[in-house]
Amino acid sequence: MNSEKRFIGTFEKGSSLWGDAWVRLSKNKLALAGLGLVIFFCGVSFLTPWIAPYGYEEQNLVLGASPPSSQHLMGTDIFGRDLLTRIMYGGRISLFVGFIATAVALVIGISWGAIAGYLGGRVDAFMMRVVDILYALPFMIFIILLMVVFGRNILLLFFAIGAVEWLTMARIVRGQVMSLRKQEFVESAYAMGLPRHIIIIRHIVPNALGPIIVYATLTIPNVMLLEAFLSFLGLGIQPPQSSWGLLINYGVETMEEYPWLLIFPGLALSLTLFALNFLGDGLRDALDPRTSID
Amino acid sequence: MSETISPATGSIILSSFRTITLVLFLTACESPETRVASGNKTGTLHWGNGTEPQSLDPHIATGVPEHHIISALMEGLVRKDSNTLEPVPGVAESWAISEDSLVYTFRLRPDLKWSNGDALDAHDFVWSWWRALQPALGNLYAYMYFPIANARRYYEGKLTEFDEVGVKALDKLTLQVSLENPTPYFLQLLDHYSMFPVHQATIENFGKADQRGTRWTHEGNMVSNGPFKLKKWSINREIIVERNALYYDNANVRLNAIVYYPIENGTTEERMFRAEQLHYTNDVPIDKIETYSNKKAHSLRINPYLGTYYYRLNTRVEHLQNKKVRRALALTIDRERLTKHVLKGRQIPAYAMTPPDTKGYFPPVSLEFDPEKARELMALSGYPNGKGFPPTEILYNTNEAHRKVAVAIQQMWKKHLNIDVSLINQEWKVYLDSETSGDYQISRAGWIGDYVDPNNFLDMFICEGGNNRTGWCNTEYDRLVLEEAPRGETDEERFDIFRKAETILMDELPIIPIYTYTSKNLVHASVKNLDPNILNQPSYTQIYLEGETD
Repeated sequence: MNSEKRFIGTFEKGSSLWGDAWVRLSKNKLALAGLGLVIFFCGVSFLTPWIAPYGYEEQNLVLGASPPSSQHLMGTDIFGRDLLTRIMYGGRISLFVGFIATAVALVIGISWGAIAGYLGGRVDAFMMRVVDILYALPFMIFIILLMVVFGRNILLLFFAIGAVEWLTMARIVRGQVMSLRKQEFVESAYAMGLPRHIIIIRHIVPNALGPIIVYATLTIPNVMLLEAFLSFLGLGIQPPQSSWGLLINYGVETMEEYPWLLIFPGLALSLTLFALNFLGDGLRDALDPRTSID
Repeated sequence: MSETISPATGSIILSSFRTITLVLFLTACESPETRVASGNKTGTLHWGNGTEPQSLDPHIATGVPEHHIISALMEGLVRKDSNTLEPVPGVAESWAISEDSLVYTFRLRPDLKWSNGDALDAHDFVWSWWRALQPALGNLYAYMYFPIANARRYYEGKLTEFDEVGVKALDKLTLQVSLENPTPYFLQLLDHYSMFPVHQATIENFGKADQRGTRWTHEGNMVSNGPFKLKKWSINREIIVERNALYYDNANVRLNAIVYYPIENGTTEERMFRAEQLHYTNDVPIDKIETYSNKKAHSLRINPYLGTYYYRLNTRVEHLQNKKVRRALALTIDRERLTKHVLKGRQIPAYAMTPPDTKGYFPPVSLEFDPEKARELMALSGYPNGKGFPPTEILYNTNEAHRKVAVAIQQMWKKHLNIDVSLINQEWKVYLDSETSGDYQISRAGWIGDYVDPNNFLDMFICEGGNNRTGWCNTEYDRLVLEEAPRGETDEERFDIFRKAETILMDELPIIPIYTYTSKNLVHASVKNLDPNILNQPSYTQIYLEGETD
C-alpha cells in the first residue's frame, strides 16, 4: 500500500455496535478492573504448568497440613500438597467449566429462545413445552443420565452441565424477543425484506443482550459449584485433580482446624465472581444499543 | 461383617449446606432443650448409626449399622459380655457341651415371649435356622452355619431333608445342636444376628419364608424377641425402637427408647454431636480427632477394633492376574506414613489379613514397605519403570476417609512404581453391586470381626465365599481353612493351620491389607455403662443415661 496515495474519506464513518461498546466499556473503571482480573486469572491458568511452584499431586505426608509459610505461600493441605499450586490447577478446571458450560448454555438458550419468541404460534408452543418438560425432569437425574451416556470425560462434563443450564436462558430470551419483535425497527427490517435469521441475529438478539449477559454472569458461578457437586458424586473430575469448588468443599470440613484451606480457594472463587459481575454489569451497559454514545 | 462407611466425612457441597442449615434451624427453633437433654429425661438414646440399613431381616443384613439395630431388636441363644466378650446366657439360660465338644444342649428360659405376646420356644429356632439355610433367600452369612453338622451339605443342595441337619428341638425348652467338628468359637457365633430367631407367623404373613425384601420388617409389622421393638422407621431419617415390655429381662433394661440416625456424612454428624443432637456418633472425622483429643470433656473414645482395612485386587483382570504385580503394589504402600500422618486415629499398619492378637493368634508377616523390590518385580513382569502398565482404577464408596487413603496410595504408586492409577467413587449400594459382580479392578474394603477368632478373617476367602469377590481361588487354601482347621483339637493346632493358610493368602495377595482399625466415637458425658470392646458392639440392655454431671 502506498501511503502517499492514501484516500482520506470525506464521509463520516458509522460507528459499529462493538466499537461503541468498547468506548463505553473503557469509561467504566470497575468493569475494566474486572476485565483485567478475568484476563489475569485466565492467563495464570493457561500458564500454570510452567509457572506453578510445585506439582499438584506432589505429596509430603510428614509435613501434612501446614499454615502459609515462605515455602508454601498459601500453606499445604492434609497430604502436604502446596495449596497455591492446587488453586492454580483448580482454576484451570473451574474457569474452563465456567466458560465452556456457560457458552454452551448461551448458544443453545439464545437460539432456542429467539427462534421460539420470533416465530411464535405453534412452533413457540411446542418449543416451550420441550423446555417445560426438561424443567420438570429432576435436574440431577438428568445430568447423571447424560454423564452415564457420555462417559467420564471432563470435556463432556462441561457440555453436559451447559446442556441443562440453558433452560432459563431460553425463557429469558424468548420473553425479550416477544416484546421486541413488534417494535418498529424490527418491522422496518422486515419491510426491507431481510430474511428472518438476519433479523434475529442483527436486530433482535443485540437488543436483548442486557438480561442475557446478567444471567450469564450468574450462570458461571452456578456451574462452577455444580461441577464440585458432580465431582463429589464421582461423576466429574477425580483426585488428584481438583477444582475450586472441590477445594472449597474440602476446606469447609476443616475450617476450624485448617482455615487457610477454605480461605484461599474461597478468595480465588469470590474474586473471580466479583470480577465477572463487574464486567457483566459494564458489558450490559456498554452493549445496550438503546443508549447512544454521548 | 462388612464395614459400611466407617470413617465417614463425605460431604456434598449442596446437601451438606442444606443439612447444616437444617441442623441450625432445628436447634434454633425446635425448643430451647436439646435432644440430648430431653433424651436424658425420657431415657431416649440418640445414636448416630452411619448409614441407612440395607434390611432389618437378620438373614439378609450384612453390615455394621444393621447390626446395631438388630441387636437391640433381637436376641440369640447366647449373648456376649460387653466387656470381656465371653458368652453369657441369652435366650438360653444354660447349656451343656458334650465331652467330644460336638453336641451342645441348650436349655431355654421358660415363658419366653415374642413382642406380640406369642410364646417363643425351641421350635422357633429350628424354623429360623431352616429359613437361614434356604438358598433362595440369598443369605450371605449362610456359611456361619457350616460348623453345624450337615448344614453345608443341606445349603449346597446335597441333602434335601432338613431333619438331617444337626439342630433338634427335643422339647419346647431344649434345643440340641450337633456340630461337624469341635468348633471352639461356636458359642460366639450364636450372638451373631444371622443366628437370631425370627417370628414364623409374621414372616409367612407377608410372603414366602424364603422370599427377600417382604414387608415383615416394616414398621408395625415386625415382631422380635429382643429388649426393644421397632416403633418407627422413616427411611433416611430415623429408626426408633422402644422398650419391649415382654422381654424376659425387661426389669433390668434402663433405656426406654433408642433413635438411630443414618448420617453418612461425618462432618454433619460431628456438628450434630456438638449441638447436642446426638449422644453417640458412629465415627469421628479425621481432622477432628486432634481437636477432640485436646478438649477437656472426654467425649472422644478411640479403642482397638477387630477389623482390617484392605484393598481387593480383582484377579480376573488381566494385568492383576500376575502375582508379581500384586506383590509390587502391596510393597509400595507406606502404611506407617499412611496411618500416622493421614489417618491419625492410632490405627495399626496391617501386613496380614487377620489383626494381630486375635484371640492370641499372630499372623505370619511377609509383607513390608520395599519400593526397591517392588520395582524389580514390576520390571520382571514386563513393566520396567511402570512402562506399559495398563490404566488401573481404584474403586471406593463415596466417603471422605476412603478418598484420603486412596489419594495417598495413588501417589505412592505413582512415586515408587511410576504407574497412573485413577480413582472412582460410587454410592454405597452401587459400589457393593460393582464389587459383587466383579466390575472393578482394585476396590477398597473393610472387614470387621463378627466374633473373635482368626477363622472369621480367613474363611471369607474360600473360592465360593460370598465375601471373597476377588475371583481368587486356591484349593489348598480351601482345604486348610475348611477341612484341616476345624479338626484341630486345640487353639494352638488350629492357629498353626491358619498360619499356613494365611501364608498362602499373603503370598498370593488377592488382597492388600492396609491397616487395622480403631473404633472412634464421640460419646456424650451422660451415656453410662457403654463398655468398650474390640468388636465395638454396645450392650443396649446395660446402657443408661444420666443428667449433666459436669
